[in-house]
Amino acid sequence: MLNELRELYRYRELLWTLVLRELRVRYKNSYLGFFWSLIVPLVTVAVLTIVFKRVMGMVIPNYSAYVLAAFLPWMYFQTALLDSSQSVLAQIQLVKKVYFPREVLPLAAVLANLIHFVLALLVFFVYLLGYVGAPLLPSVALLPVLVFFQTLLIAGLSLIISCLNVFYEDTKYIVSIGLQLMFYLVPVIYFSEQVYHAQIASPEWQRWIYLLYHLNPIAMLMTAYRKILLPPITVQQIGAVQKQTFASLPMDWGLLAVACAVSVVVFMLGYAFFNKRKWDFAEQP
Amino acid sequence: MKDTAILLEHVSKSYRLSHQPYSSLKGILLSMFRYRRRIEVHQALNDVSLTIRHGETVGLIGVNGSGKSTLLAIIARVIRPSAGRVQVNGRVAPLLQLGVGFHPDLTGLENVYFNGIILGLTRQQIAERLPSIVRFAELEEFIDTPVRAYSSGMVLRLGFAVAVHTDPEIILMDEVLAVGDEAFQHKCLRKIQEFQHEGRTILLVSHDMNQVRQVATRTVWLHQGRVMADGATDEVVRQYLAFTEEMERRAI
Ligand SMILES: Nc1ncnc2c1ncn2[C@@H]1O[C@H](COP(=O)(O)OP(=O)(O)OP(=O)(O)O)[C@@H](O)[C@H]1O
Ligand SMILES: [Mg+2]
Repeated sequence: MLNELRELYRYRELLWTLVLRELRVRYKNSYLGFFWSLIVPLVTVAVLTIVFKRVMGMVIPNYSAYVLAAFLPWMYFQTALLDSSQSVLAQIQLVKKVYFPREVLPLAAVLANLIHFVLALLVFFVYLLGYVGAPLLPSVALLPVLVFFQTLLIAGLSLIISCLNVFYEDTKYIVSIGLQLMFYLVPVIYFSEQVYHAQIASPEWQRWIYLLYHLNPIAMLMTAYRKILLPPITVQQIGAVQKQTFASLPMDWGLLAVACAVSVVVFMLGYAFFNKRKWDFAEQP
Repeated sequence: MKDTAILLEHVSKSYRLSHQPYSSLKGILLSMFRYRRRIEVHQALNDVSLTIRHGETVGLIGVNGSGKSTLLAIIARVIRPSAGRVQVNGRVAPLLQLGVGFHPDLTGLENVYFNGIILGLTRQQIAERLPSIVRFAELEEFIDTPVRAYSSGMVLRLGFAVAVHTDPEIILMDEVLAVGDEAFQHKCLRKIQEFQHEGRTILLVSHDMNQVRQVATRTVWLHQGRVMADGATDEVVRQYLAFTEEMERRAI
């Protein structure tokens, strides 16, 4: 793997050019350009806020900020995986003619989405400080760490998905269905505290369900984004029958460490898998 | 051997040809229920040995499916041989087929940068060579237009212009010149001759025997993945043409 990384480093300029090209192509023919990638989360969050506050009876001050803090990383995860699933296949003619480290294709798709994510986070902070007026927590300093490990996780998955998609084009459909299901298994529209208090098991099992839920690294990362970006919050849900209160839980650092370790492992496995198959791409008829 | 540009020793390449398409989930599932999978191995190259010295211009001829493109792909390090040894000394530039590596939504200029970098130039080198590239392609007026507005010949010229400016030691050409107009083909031939004078190595795949005769000093004839003849262009082309005529006569 070291040799492969060295070769990748030699081709860093190609990687960067691909990233720029991806960004440029995406907004070439639209007037609003980058703002399209902000409009999607903003509209989504506005709709979610209305539905959850008015219809579901959630009582949370600044609910929209909490949704956004998890929805932006989710968007990064989702669009990066979808983009990269097609990345090698879209360039197959080039792959068949020119030598270059094939991993630049999925990695460029990931990095282009990383840039979007970082820009969206900047807008998020403007919103947070300007509109919500929330204080900036010291734990925000951990944000780059989360972004780093999330990127490793995404890159590992992207390498696997983009490679499989060359051989089996069903991959991209499976990925998009998987992402749709996954959306409900990560804390975006609800809070991880609600998972802890889920009424699917007796109280002594709560801890285990919470743990199992957060063994999914992307779920844990999103819980972590919320907890480092925003102050702890008590969620109240006023239903027709009863009123429920979910007290805030502290960040589970052990689980976060597991999520980071899993991300590293996923990256290494993904890269090893990609390297094993990458010289067969050009033979694909 | 310092003066060897390309060395192929007993190179073979076999492709797996499955009659059941495996590129879909359905294909895999179906094949699991079959009694026996039908996978045939197709030998695209069969024990090819070649030594090409620096500065040689070698024509590669043969009927469709004889393995010419496969051989170039192995030299370009794009696919790996199933058996045998390949050694390439020097920077290889494949001349890309029409439109490969071009993004229709981007301008000619943006595409020049992308193509140059993928062929191994740095941004700075491209910036330095830009005027010369644009002049060679004769696309000064269109360089800031999206490539989707180009004609096929214009795309070809731009691609060719970038490739010849990458300063390659070994140039691979797989039937790339067919779409250019008469004037541009002449220009390319002149450029090839210039390359020959500069001592660069050229491998040219073509079905145009006049073109081969015009530029190649040596020609290799491939048939069914084997080298049928290798030697002076005139002689090899004559043998090849005699062979195809014979085949035609037998077919009738
Ligand atoms: N990716 C692939 N998978 C399976 N078989 C392949 C693949 N690529 C080429 N082949 C087979 O290998 C043989 C050689 O193909 P190749 O493309 O090298 O021929 P060629 O000499 O370039 O022909 P042409 O003059 O038509 O370009 C052919 O029989 C072809 O069917
Ligand atoms: Mg061919």
